[in-house]
Amino acid sequence: MTPRANVALWRDRMPAAFSPGPATRALRAAGLALFLAWLAGALWWFDFSPQRLWNGLSGLGTIVVLMVPPSPGELWVEILQGIAESVAMAFLGTFLAAIVAIPLGFLGARNIVTATLWRFSLRRVLDGFRGVDQLIWALAYVRAVGLGPLAGVLAIFTADIAVLAKLYAEAIENAEKKQAEGVVAAGGGRLSAIRFGILPQVAPVMLAQALYFFESNTRSATILGVVGAGGIGLQIAERIRVRHWDEVAFIIILMVATVAAIDWISGRIRRRLIGERG
Amino acid sequence: MLEIEGLTRRFGAKIAVDKVSLAVPAGQMLGVIGRSGAGKSTLLRMVNRLTDPSEGRIRFDGTDVTALRGTGLRDWRMRCAMIFQQFNLVQRLDVLTNVLVGRLNRRPLVTSLLRMFTAEERAMALAALDRFDLAETALQRADTLSGGQQQRVAIARALLQEPRIILADEPIASLDPRNSRIVMDALRGVNREGITVLVNLHDLTTARDYCDRIVALNAGRIVFDGPPAALTAARIREVYGVTEEEFAEEAAAAVGAPPPRHAVPA
Repeated sequence: MTPRANVALWRDRMPAAFSPGPATRALRAAGLALFLAWLAGALWWFDFSPQRLWNGLSGLGTIVVLMVPPSPGELWVEILQGIAESVAMAFLGTFLAAIVAIPLGFLGARNIVTATLWRFSLRRVLDGFRGVDQLIWALAYVRAVGLGPLAGVLAIFTADIAVLAKLYAEAIENAEKKQAEGVVAAGGGRLSAIRFGILPQVAPVMLAQALYFFESNTRSATILGVVGAGGIGLQIAERIRVRHWDEVAFIIILMVATVAAIDWISGRIRRRLIGERG
Repeated sequence: MLEIEGLTRRFGAKIAVDKVSLAVPAGQMLGVIGRSGAGKSTLLRMVNRLTDPSEGRIRFDGTDVTALRGTGLRDWRMRCAMIFQQFNLVQRLDVLTNVLVGRLNRRPLVTSLLRMFTAEERAMALAALDRFDLAETALQRADTLSGGQQQRVAIARALLQEPRIILADEPIASLDPRNSRIVMDALRGVNREGITVLVNLHDLTTARDYCDRIVALNAGRIVFDGPPAALTAARIREVYGVTEEEFAEEAAAAVGAPPPRHAVPA
């Protein structure tokens, strides 16, 4: 059995094991105070009050009551078409973005492109694209190519290229060098080394991320519809405007089911193509 | 007194441990040897109930361990500490917190989740670390330590559980000879203080040097049970059908350990 240890002796020998030093404690207290002040300030600024939250809650309650029972209304076909359109937009936009992001990812990876200036500029350009949200792109494309799903596809495509390229570049930088070295040692050229040494390592990551983006874009395609870029969003917005909450609820349930189905299918695809290790 | 009666574990159609019966008196240092797949690990893990037996019973001082659930099971696990081949420390936590994990079962849930340990427990942890010359590393992250140091931290964690039994599953298979000796000496040391030790070993020489009693398993059954002196080279050939060198090489390869320290001439 361990004998009861001498607390005073150990506290003397290793004070840090018992409690952090005065400097650390002061810093922590200051940090906590700063955080609380910031939180309180933000709440005050946005006029948070229990009264308003409570009123909002009862407003929400009314909406929920109006939603029951969900009903498809009289425009069944239109709703299904809208959802199909949203899914198609998300798929097309993500697919095209992923295709374009693969070469961009390689060009942006430190271990592939050693010319710093070129890689640096590419990455900053991508950063710029990433700084603009999908919704802004959608508004711009609606003005440029007109209302409809084409604007939505282009918005998803433009916004996701930059994000996917960055994620791909990072995955490529984390790939193991040794495997590519094996290809080079066997007489392969630079492109062969990338094709056979690097790509097989990063392809599962790329696929997994593209599938996640597809699922997430199906959800965000709803919003794109609200600004006229195609998909189910417009129908939801219209029904909210005329307070047909039961029909809104019906569409929401369909959307949730669709996203769940996509998630399930993409999970199967991932396991099938990547194996359990991915 | 730890009593194991007819303990059996099946994985699908395969029988890992086959009707093992064993009585281990308090304070004994028992070495379990056997080839890869002989059921050593499964046997030890069943005692801690990390693996549940298919049949049979384990009793400790009259308590039926196999029937324990919930709090009773957690209390039992606290009393029979486990040491693993790969140490199983939390790499991103500091050494001190890793050792204090041994106290979790004695603390109220909320304070333990907030990492609020008493000064006495901290001192206890430091004293346990100091015993293995590791007090200075207490505030480092566990992954900064070498394998041998990590295994000693794991023993310190086990000691903070104030266990009656220590179960060590291949504690030295991932260590070099010098660290193996330090870790085995540490286990023997705590055994001398009255803690029963059950240790799985791939190395016969180590088992003979350190244990009071050796149990040999083959295909899940006990094929030898006696003092180290009785486990002669001839006996090994008799129960395993291979020479001692072959046994040693095979066992070492199975756990990924370096080849045996010194082969005994046949």
